[in-house]
Amino acid sequence: MIIPLLILTPLVLLAALGAVWKARPVHAALLLALSLALVAVLYLTIGADFIGLVQFMVYVGAVAILIVFSLLITRPGDEAEEIQRRPRSMVTGLICTLPVLAVLLIALVKGNPESAPAVDAPPLSIAHLGELLFTTHAPAVLAVGVLLTAVMIGAALFARDTEKPKSNQPEK
Amino acid sequence: MSAEKTIDRLPAVPKPGRWIMPGLGLIQGLVISGKNAIQSYYKKDRMTTIQYPEQRAVISPNFRNFPFLCYDDDAATGLRCTACSICENECPPQCIYIVLDRDENGKSLKRPKVFDIDISVCMNCGICAEVCPFDSIYMDGEYEMSTDDRFGGLMLGLDRLAKSAEYHMKLRPEEASAVMAKRKAEEEKKAAAAAAKAAKAKADLEAKAKAAAEAKAAEEAQAATEEKGESA
Amino acid sequence: MIFATVPFPSFTLESLPQLPKLLVEWLLMLVGAPDWLVSIGGTAAMAGTVVGVFLSAFALLSLVERKTLARIQNRLGPNRAGWFGILQPVADGIKMLTKEDIVPTKAEWLLHLAAPILIVVPSILALGVMPLGREWVPVNMELGLLFFFSVGALTELSVFMAGWASGSKFPMLGAMRAISQMVSYELPLIISALGVIMVTGSLRLSDIVVHQGDFYFGFIPKWNLFTPWGFAAGLIFYIASIAEANRCPFDLPEGESEIVAGHMTEYSGFKYALFFMGEYLGLFAIAGLGVTLFLGGWQAPLPFLGWVPTWIWFFAKLAVIIMSYLWIRGTFPRVRIDQLMRFAWLCLIPMALLTIPAAALWVFTGKGIVSWVVTVPLLLIPWVILTILFNKRLAPATRTYTFADS
Repeated sequence: MIIPLLILTPLVLLAALGAVWKARPVHAALLLALSLALVAVLYLTIGADFIGLVQFMVYVGAVAILIVFSLLITRPGDEAEEIQRRPRSMVTGLICTLPVLAVLLIALVKGNPESAPAVDAPPLSIAHLGELLFTTHAPAVLAVGVLLTAVMIGAALFARDTEKPKSNQPEK
Repeated sequence: MSAEKTIDRLPAVPKPGRWIMPGLGLIQGLVISGKNAIQSYYKKDRMTTIQYPEQRAVISPNFRNFPFLCYDDDAATGLRCTACSICENECPPQCIYIVLDRDENGKSLKRPKVFDIDISVCMNCGICAEVCPFDSIYMDGEYEMSTDDRFGGLMLGLDRLAKSAEYHMKLRPEEASAVMAKRKAEEEKKAAAAAAKAAKAKADLEAKAKAAAEAKAAEEAQAATEEKGESA
Repeated sequence: MIFATVPFPSFTLESLPQLPKLLVEWLLMLVGAPDWLVSIGGTAAMAGTVVGVFLSAFALLSLVERKTLARIQNRLGPNRAGWFGILQPVADGIKMLTKEDIVPTKAEWLLHLAAPILIVVPSILALGVMPLGREWVPVNMELGLLFFFSVGALTELSVFMAGWASGSKFPMLGAMRAISQMVSYELPLIISALGVIMVTGSLRLSDIVVHQGDFYFGFIPKWNLFTPWGFAAGLIFYIASIAEANRCPFDLPEGESEIVAGHMTEYSGFKYALFFMGEYLGLFAIAGLGVTLFLGGWQAPLPFLGWVPTWIWFFAKLAVIIMSYLWIRGTFPRVRIDQLMRFAWLCLIPMALLTIPAAALWVFTGKGIVSWVVTVPLLLIPWVILTILFNKRLAPATRTYTFADS
């Protein structure tokens, strides 16, 4: 269990760093997809199959694709300018990252139990996971569902064509 | 197969506003293409493709390709071509090259020594065949002209250009028989003219002989009278 | 004597596809290999069987497709290489392998190289979880269906990589079309599969097949297709699978009359062959999933045909589905991109969403006559309303041409 972790973690970190560092947005997006995929593999190696596959499907299959697609339909920026701007943007990025890091560290310190968790715990079956999601955590699932539905309706309203379709017949 | 008939078979476009099941048109399309696929196995007339090297299309008499030279009886002596160079001069891309054959005294033999057509230049216009006054050059029906020799293989000399009148008859019977009839008529006319000429020459000769005889007779008569006169 | 110590395991016609695996395991045991090597060898042999079977099916399909299309167009099709053109795939393969591999100067060679490899991998992975027969399930995964859709996500990424890394315009346009089409049609594809999961109560593909095992009245198979929700979902799945496989009439990403070959424009030789292979293997995978979800997988269509080996039924159903794809390809013209998107978002996705409550009602009302009474109107009425809307309001304005219509 520890060996895949040791191999995968540096790779994930490298891919993520590359995603931040690469000046060309398409490379950054592909490296982001790679790091997300590697995280999915990490989940799979620790026995969380469902989370791993969903991570792959949602993040690699949907989120990365959306990023990539938006890159395709936008004009690429100037790379030299981007690199020149880097020191400033690094400072801003660090300032934004600090709170996240702090939260993660605090969670790690506080949440880390003294004794190691039982490694040989039986893997969570899908049926059990589903039962938990729709009984104990039902309010959260419902709230997320309502939120997503609202977002979807909003998107549909935005995307709706308000103009009437024009006929291409010349006006007489 | 008329286009109108095919259109008639299709159902009329439904009026707008009436609900019809979506997808009906798709099913119709599938039925048509499925019928095509299945009938192609047993309806021979559906398969219009000719399997070329084994089967060959019957070419139309109107099919015209590169020119050839027509000969009557023998390829060496019977060529109709007289090397008059009209086709050479008329050819728009200048792909014909003719050298007149001469005997040792430099007298024209009225036949080509060299007749070359560069078919990599020829554009199949058929003007050479139109202008030929000796019914010699015609457009061919040959279509397998590919060669691996770029220069020699595409330069047709007399050996490949000369084709018999029977070939022409087989290729384009209507045109060839008209030409044959015309040539025959011309020949007859020529023969008749020659006969007339011969007859005339003979008549002339006879007349001459007659005149000579008459003159002789007159001379003799005169001589006789002179003799008479002397004696008298 | 060592040969006497390991008897060859018995097998039947049913477990015939297991033969390579058994053979490799037996041979390894004969030479006294350790247990882990035996298990790895057996797994490799099984994977090899699946890949081999589908690669030969790919070779066969590339010929059958051309022959079928030719017959639809009243032609003969390839008939020169071998008997009835049976060696045509070999000729094609040799041609592909001996062609020059061209990488454009403006291409990013690493991504350009990775794209055709990454497009074959997910298709083979997806085929690995398919229950091909009662005793022939290469990997019997608990999350088989989820795994199938997860690895499918890689296809889109590799299409993007191919389109972008070629550094040319047509591949880019093709990739944009491909991604927008795949994202749009993945939704109805997955949503229409959800009803099956709800009714079966499992994501394991072999469970889904076993669940469709029985017969109504002793002769109508209890496939998901023969239920109201299953019929609707199956139809939606079928249409969406054609679009996912980038096949005609949804072959806009490779529309050769418009954008040469889409994302494959700058590829040649073996890399192009890999794209071709990935496309066909993806076609097998998606059609095989359709067979598994809605057509009862390896189940026999009639009760008295149970003696036929089950894997024959799977491949027969697969062949029927693939032939229908060919028929459709030979019949319909390519749709426009706006028609494609409109159809996905305004027709397929709403109807796919409706199959979920229909499937739920089907389970709650006990899968009997009541269920039919409840679910048929639930699906039929919205569909009629949708088609009326399509006919009247949602349909694009009728084009009128100034000079052609006179």
